[in-house]
Amino acid sequence: MKNLRLITPGKIILLAVLLVLPLFFSMIGFSYGVLVCCFAFLYIVAVSGLDVDFGYCGQISMGHAAFFAIGAYGSVMLHQYAHIPVLATMVIATVLATIVGAVIAYPASKLVFHFLSLATIAFGEIVYALLLNSPGGVTGNAVGMFTDPINLFGLELESNERFYYFGLAVVLLFLLAKYLMVNSKVGRAWIAIRENPHAANGMGINVTKYKVMAFAVSAFFTGFAGAMYAHLVRYIGPDTFTQKQSVMFVTMMLFGGTGSIPGSIVGAVLVFSITEGLRMFEQYQMLIYGALLLVVIVALPGGVYGETKKLFDNLMDRRKGGNRHAA
Amino acid sequence: MLLEIDHLCLSFGGLKATNDVTMHMEAGKINGIIGPNGAGKTTFFNQISGVYKPDSGTITFDGKRIDGLKPYQINEAGIARTYQVINLFRKMSVIENVMVGMHPRLRSNFFDSLLHNKKQREEEKNAREKAMELLEFVGLEQYANEQAGALSYGQQRLLEIVRGLASDPKLILLDEPAAGMNSAEKVELNTLLRKILARGVTILIVEHDMKLMMDISDRIFVLNYGQKLAEGTPAEIQKNPDVIAAYLGGDDE
Repeated sequence: MKNLRLITPGKIILLAVLLVLPLFFSMIGFSYGVLVCCFAFLYIVAVSGLDVDFGYCGQISMGHAAFFAIGAYGSVMLHQYAHIPVLATMVIATVLATIVGAVIAYPASKLVFHFLSLATIAFGEIVYALLLNSPGGVTGNAVGMFTDPINLFGLELESNERFYYFGLAVVLLFLLAKYLMVNSKVGRAWIAIRENPHAANGMGINVTKYKVMAFAVSAFFTGFAGAMYAHLVRYIGPDTFTQKQSVMFVTMMLFGGTGSIPGSIVGAVLVFSITEGLRMFEQYQMLIYGALLLVVIVALPGGVYGETKKLFDNLMDRRKGGNRHAA
Repeated sequence: MLLEIDHLCLSFGGLKATNDVTMHMEAGKINGIIGPNGAGKTTFFNQISGVYKPDSGTITFDGKRIDGLKPYQINEAGIARTYQVINLFRKMSVIENVMVGMHPRLRSNFFDSLLHNKKQREEEKNAREKAMELLEFVGLEQYANEQAGALSYGQQRLLEIVRGLASDPKLILLDEPAAGMNSAEKVELNTLLRKILARGVTILIVEHDMKLMMDISDRIFVLNYGQKLAEGTPAEIQKNPDVIAAYLGGDDE
C-alpha cells in the first residue's frame, strides 16, 4: 500500500524548531534572521506552486513573476483605492491571479517546451510593462507604492516576528493543500499528462482541462506569495517583478528538485540563502542563477532533494540486500 | 451491433488512407483486423479512438455517434485502447498506471480531491482495491508498487491492457498486442483475451501475426490499400482468393 503518513516524528521536531527559532534569533541578537525566514516562507509558497505546474503537470513557466506581481499589486491597490482590509485584499488578489492564470493557460496549454517558455516570458514582460506604464499611473509606475502590514482580524502584523508565525502557518496550509492535491485523482492526472500526454488523453483525461487547472493552482500559490511579499516589505515597485524574478523561481524549483514537496522547500531556502549571502555581488545575480542551473542540469538532474533521496533510497536498498521485491 | 462504422474515409494529401470502409461488429466477440504493412490498419484504429478525425462517414458506438470526438471523450463513452508502441506512464507505479486508467469513472471533483473528504477517501480506497484486483487478473500484483518503466517488455504489454480495462470499457482496442512477444507469451495472450471476453468486454484487435489472428478471432476484417478487402470467419478468410492475392502478391491477370 502507498505510504500516506502525513505526520512523522521528524516533522514534529522540525516544526518545534521553527516555532522557537525567532526566540533563538533574538537571543543571539540576529533579528535579521527572522526577516530572512519570512522571505523564505513566501518563496516556498511561490515555488511550491510553480512545481505543481512544472514538476507535476510538466508545463514550464518562465513568467511566474507576473502572478507574483498580480498578487502583490492587486492586494496593495485594493487596499489603497477600495480601502478593503489587507488580509481580504490578499485573498481577492490571489483569486484574480488564479483567474488570469486560467485565462492564459487555455491558449498556452496547446504549447510545449520552448514555445511555452517563450509565451510565458512574453506574458511576464506584458505584466511588467503594464506596471511600469499603467493607465493613469494607478500602479505608481516606476515609483511604486507603499502599503500597510497585514491586518489579521484586528492584529497588525507590523513586526517581522508576527509575520514569521503568519508565514509559517501559510506555508503549512499551502503545503498541506499541495500534498492533498497531488495524492489524489487530480495529481495522478497531472503526472500522467507530464509522463505522456497522448496516453493520458486516451485514458479519458481531458488534458486541456487539467493543464489549465495546474496552471491556475500554480498562479494561486504564486499570487498569494506575491501578496505576502507586498505586505512584508510594505513597498512594491516594478523592479521586483522582472524576468529575473521568474528565473529565480525556476532556479529555486530546479535546484531543489521537481515533482515533490520537500524539493520546492529545499530549493527556495537554499537559493534564497545563496542570494542573500552573495548580496554584495547583486549585479551578478543572473550569473549566479545561471551557474546554479548548470550545476543542477549537469551534476544533479533530480535537484538537491531528488538526488539526496535517490542516494538514500539506494543505500536502504543495499542494506536490505537488494530484496526490494519481497518488501 | 456494438460498433458500426459506415463509409469511413480519411485522406492524407493525395493518399486515401481509409477509403469507404464499412464494418459492423457484434458485442461479445473478438474482432480482428489484418492487412499487409501500410494497409491503413493503425490509421483506421486511430479514427475509432479519436486520434484522427475522419473526413467523412460515421462511427456509431452503442447507438451513439462518436466520430470526431476527442480521445478522452471516446474513452468516457466506453472504448479503451492500448498502443502499438508502449505508452505507459513510466515514472508512475504499476498500480497508479491502472488507477489513471480508471480516471473517467471516478466522480470526485477538484474540491473533493483538495479536501480528501469522505466521498473522495472511499472512492480512492475502492479504486485501489479494484486496481489490485485487475493486476491480479493479469498476474502483475507483486509488482504493484514498482515503477512501470522497470517492468519487462511482456509485463509492460500486460499493464497496457489492464490499464485499458480499468475504465470498465464495453470495447477494448488492442493495437498489435503480440508485437515483440515470444511464442509462450503469445499462448498466454490468447488465454488472456478469452478471459477479457468473459468479463463482458468486446475486443477489436489489430495484429500482424496471422497464425495468432486465425486462432483467436471470431470474425476477421481484411484491409488493403485503405479499403476493406474481405470479412468473415477465419476459415472463410483463409480461403478467400483476394486475401491470398493481397498477402502473397497474386498476379492480376
